[in-house]
Amino acid sequence: MAIGAFMGLVGFSNAFEQAWLRLYTSSGTNIAIIQRTFLSTSLDESATPKVKALPAVAQATPVIYNVMDLTPEVNALVYGWKADSYELESLQLLSGRPLRDGHPEVMLGDLLANSLSKKTGDMLPIQGSPFKVVAVYHGGSALEAGAVIMPLDQLQRLSSLQGKVSTIHVRLRPAPSGEAPDHYLKRVQAQIEAALPGLRAVPAAERAENNQFVRLANASAWGTSSIALLIGILGIANTMAMSVFERTREIGILRALGWKRGQIMVLIQLEATVLGLGGGLMGVVIGWGALHLLAALPQSAGIVSTYFPLPLVAKALGISILAGLTAGAIPAWRGAQLSPVEALRHD
Amino acid sequence: MTSPALEVRNLFKSYDEGRIEALRGVDLSIADGEYVAITGPSGSGKSTLLHMLGGLDSPTTGEVLFRNVSLGSTIDLDTYRSRNVGFIFQAFHLMPTLRAIENVQVPMIGLNRGGFNRATRARDLLREMGLENRMEQYPNQLSAGERQRVAIARALANDPDILLADEPTGNLDSVNSARIMEILIGIQQKRGMTLIVVTHENEIAHAAARQIRMRDGKIEA
Repeated sequence: MAIGAFMGLVGFSNAFEQAWLRLYTSSGTNIAIIQRTFLSTSLDESATPKVKALPAVAQATPVIYNVMDLTPEVNALVYGWKADSYELESLQLLSGRPLRDGHPEVMLGDLLANSLSKKTGDMLPIQGSPFKVVAVYHGGSALEAGAVIMPLDQLQRLSSLQGKVSTIHVRLRPAPSGEAPDHYLKRVQAQIEAALPGLRAVPAAERAENNQFVRLANASAWGTSSIALLIGILGIANTMAMSVFERTREIGILRALGWKRGQIMVLIQLEATVLGLGGGLMGVVIGWGALHLLAALPQSAGIVSTYFPLPLVAKALGISILAGLTAGAIPAWRGAQLSPVEALRHD
Repeated sequence: MTSPALEVRNLFKSYDEGRIEALRGVDLSIADGEYVAITGPSGSGKSTLLHMLGGLDSPTTGEVLFRNVSLGSTIDLDTYRSRNVGFIFQAFHLMPTLRAIENVQVPMIGLNRGGFNRATRARDLLREMGLENRMEQYPNQLSAGERQRVAIARALANDPDILLADEPTGNLDSVNSARIMEILIGIQQKRGMTLIVVTHENEIAHAAARQIRMRDGKIEA
């Protein structure tokens, strides 16, 4: 169960991170400008023209994002975009038309539209204000397909953040010939930070990995998994302690037949490892199932994908083996210390 | 004179912080290839002495020497038990989850012998015990006599110098008792092994070349 929780939670946070990365790559965003804070980032929208003025910047667009309850059961990521945002280009409109600034209207990702049973032309109340669904689009990532996009000014009004934005997304001009892309990215980062003192220009990949949502998801996934793992280790330790107690006479027989203490320890540790690994394999299956279940539920479909990377499976199995070894250590040591004569007398 | 296989010098063993004295100054010498029976009433210390001779336990004071080497100092007890001693117990002490052929291999695993050699040796020993058709059975599928024969095969697995049997016929009927003793004495004579048997039964004791009678933790005669 502990490994299942680990796979489900860490898998979820990894999938979340991948979804953020796809969000940036699909729109061609190279850099996100943010405040030097952890939980919430809020910067002046007026910084956008200064960014646009930099020669290396092809396009820059201010963005707000928030998570909002749309119905008592469904919440979703809500993006505030300008009507002329280059990021709209990456969306495939399935019906309707693009947004217009200054109007109470929204575009819905196809996944969310399905969950809400909404189509173009319907009304959708958000935070007590009515919004007209002007388009349903297909998004490449779960963070788009399960999201609401509304005009930036409308989300600023709903969030009481007039004149403020969460981040400014930047698409760069191609790197000059002869300059390595990494070097170019770093150079432009420095230029942006020089033009906007107090703000950070973060490459998209790093932002996907380190944005506050992903960091919170990661921290809570590892925190919860650690507690679950600790409980799992105690469970295996208890099982092994009982097993050693119940098989005291067998250990006595092995000792009487010349098995060394080290061999007894290896035997018990091997059993604990197999127990841990078996639990780990079951946990991987449970975690895989949990992710698929979450991805299918309307409450979480918008932010969960079924991305299940092999390194995560390897990590989970490694942890389960380590958990088995840790849990088996004391029972193995106790088993090895048994006196053959005393152990043979054990009922 | 034949050199002693085992020698016991002034052996004391006490339990419960000295409140129980199981052995109280035992001196003994057993020659290579000798068949010795240890007899005496319950609580006389005969099984404790057998445990000391087999390296299952350490004395409180005194020493046990195997071929003039003190057990527990030059030779460690685990190595001694695995290479030089074979045990046969009254309660058989077979692993209930292992088949007869696997039970016989257990001591060889302790010595890290290869799987093929182990299986071949176990098969040969079980055949020698007349169990060629019972090799794949679990202990609970075997009769008491068959279990003890599997235990004898297991005791011989690492080709020990000394065979120690603690009431080997205690759980058997007279027919099986006679068969087991016939096997043990046959092995002792054929292989020239030292055989030490703890027993209550006069018939078995009389068959031995030497009888050691114990009473109150001491050798009586």
